[in-house]
Amino acid sequence: MSQPAVLFEDVSVAIGGVSILESVNASVPHGSATAIIGPNGAGKTTLLLAMLGQLPFDGRIRIARTPKGPARLGYVPQGLDFDRGIPMTVMDLMVIGPQRRPLWAGRSRRQRNLAMTLLGSVKAEPLAGRRLGALSGGELQRVLLALAIQRDPDILVLDEPSSGVDIAGENLLCELLDTLRAERGFTQVMVTHDLSLVTAHATDVICLNRRVMGQGPTEATLTAEVLAATFGIHLGVADLHPLPGCEHDEHGHRPDAHA
Amino acid sequence: MPDLAPLYDLAARLLPFEAMQARFMQQALVELILLAPMCAMMGVHVVSFRMAFFSDAISHSAFTGVALGLLIGADARLTMVGFALAVGLAIMAVSRRTLLSIDTVIGVFFSAVIAFGLAVVSRDRSVARNLQMFLYGDILTIGEAEIRLTAVLFVALMAFQTIGFNRLLYVGVNPSLAAAHRVPTRTYQYLFAALLSLVVIVSVWAVGVFLVTAMLIVPAASARNLARSASGMFWWALVVSVTSAVTGLLVSAQSWAGTATGATIVLCASVWFAGSAIVGGLRQGARR
Repeated sequence: MSQPAVLFEDVSVAIGGVSILESVNASVPHGSATAIIGPNGAGKTTLLLAMLGQLPFDGRIRIARTPKGPARLGYVPQGLDFDRGIPMTVMDLMVIGPQRRPLWAGRSRRQRNLAMTLLGSVKAEPLAGRRLGALSGGELQRVLLALAIQRDPDILVLDEPSSGVDIAGENLLCELLDTLRAERGFTQVMVTHDLSLVTAHATDVICLNRRVMGQGPTEATLTAEVLAATFGIHLGVADLHPLPGCEHDEHGHRPDAHA
Repeated sequence: MPDLAPLYDLAARLLPFEAMQARFMQQALVELILLAPMCAMMGVHVVSFRMAFFSDAISHSAFTGVALGLLIGADARLTMVGFALAVGLAIMAVSRRTLLSIDTVIGVFFSAVIAFGLAVVSRDRSVARNLQMFLYGDILTIGEAEIRLTAVLFVALMAFQTIGFNRLLYVGVNPSLAAAHRVPTRTYQYLFAALLSLVVIVSVWAVGVFLVTAMLIVPAASARNLARSASGMFWWALVVSVTSAVTGLLVSAQSWAGTATGATIVLCASVWFAGSAIVGGLRQGARR
């Protein structure tokens, strides 16, 4: 069995004296699409932020090294909180990270071309000239996905990617993630409370409600008992069959995704 | 020390108005040409960071800094700069370590700083008389020492805006996203707070405590209405700020106007804002 991409060992987080996570022990298999699920207030986003190093925590989070060095993380936040009045285009956002030249001195041709390639890979090329504040929820999620893969991440972290996105947008995002994962070979860690997205898209799951209630391959783990323990209600009626077009093989790849 | 006289002569040649023949007007113009771009550049980020209230707190700390200097017999300009820098960094440090929103933290510091200043002044009434010049500022009495200091700050700020503009813009959009993309957000937030504190204090000398925030906010707000991209916002803010400063100086020197220079500059910028709001409104209407 290969080394997990991420290993959480006895991770606990308390904010302002309130315990958010208690001794979380879990692992994210290398190359998997792992979903962290749980009800509101379960500590899903907290675990993600601890993993990203943006929150202090007790315990240990081991992120596997790659042959090239420490693993690179890409991050797609939940419905980006930003000032919608800012006159900033999608292209501006794509180049401010990698471009050294200040934006007021112009955007370099090389960075513009790279940005267009990335936007193309998430079907967002037509959005390049649009203002950030004018994007819909689904469009913004795709732009943030393009931004996250800009650093060619080994691990892609997504916080509630379907939040504020309609059904069509969610299906498109699901397709894009599967295709990108097949092409780029990253491990995907996704926080969500959307069980239909999990059953359609995730190969593995970590059920969280302050503590780990269950973990492992999606279909084997999402039993009525585990769901009841995680969400506190009986969810045995959940349809665990993947949505048409989002099935995965035993390696977690969609049959039609590009190899 | 380089001689600034050629710079003053150049100012008189570039703007060949009768009012510009006086040396104090030339000095005021040079100071404003340095100050206005600094306010515009920092203002763009102040608006992105939603920190308009921060500049208010710092400008009011000038009042306390001066009172402290007068009380302990130190150079009031030095204590003013030192105190403002300390307040700016303290606001940033506390806001990073608490769950309170930044405007709440600034509000607490604002009140504490004002209360401290009043307490100092109430102990010695003679101090109050010396404070009035800082409340209203006076660009026409600006001296060579202040111009040199502003020039040094201008160079430092240009370097910061060249190296850090993109990163700072990233932090302004969303600090968590910027941190995930390896932007050292903490370093940039502290550097920004320190430089903004210095720009605010230097501006207090020119336009006074009451109008500093306007110097930062009005050009940046006008630029938001006019620009279609981040770089456009930067350049529009510069255009609004510099043209307002020069026009305000010239208008205030006319006998028919006879108004305070700082106030006239802010009024010119406000006219820009009104025009930009109309343009912005028309553009939005055309999009619908």
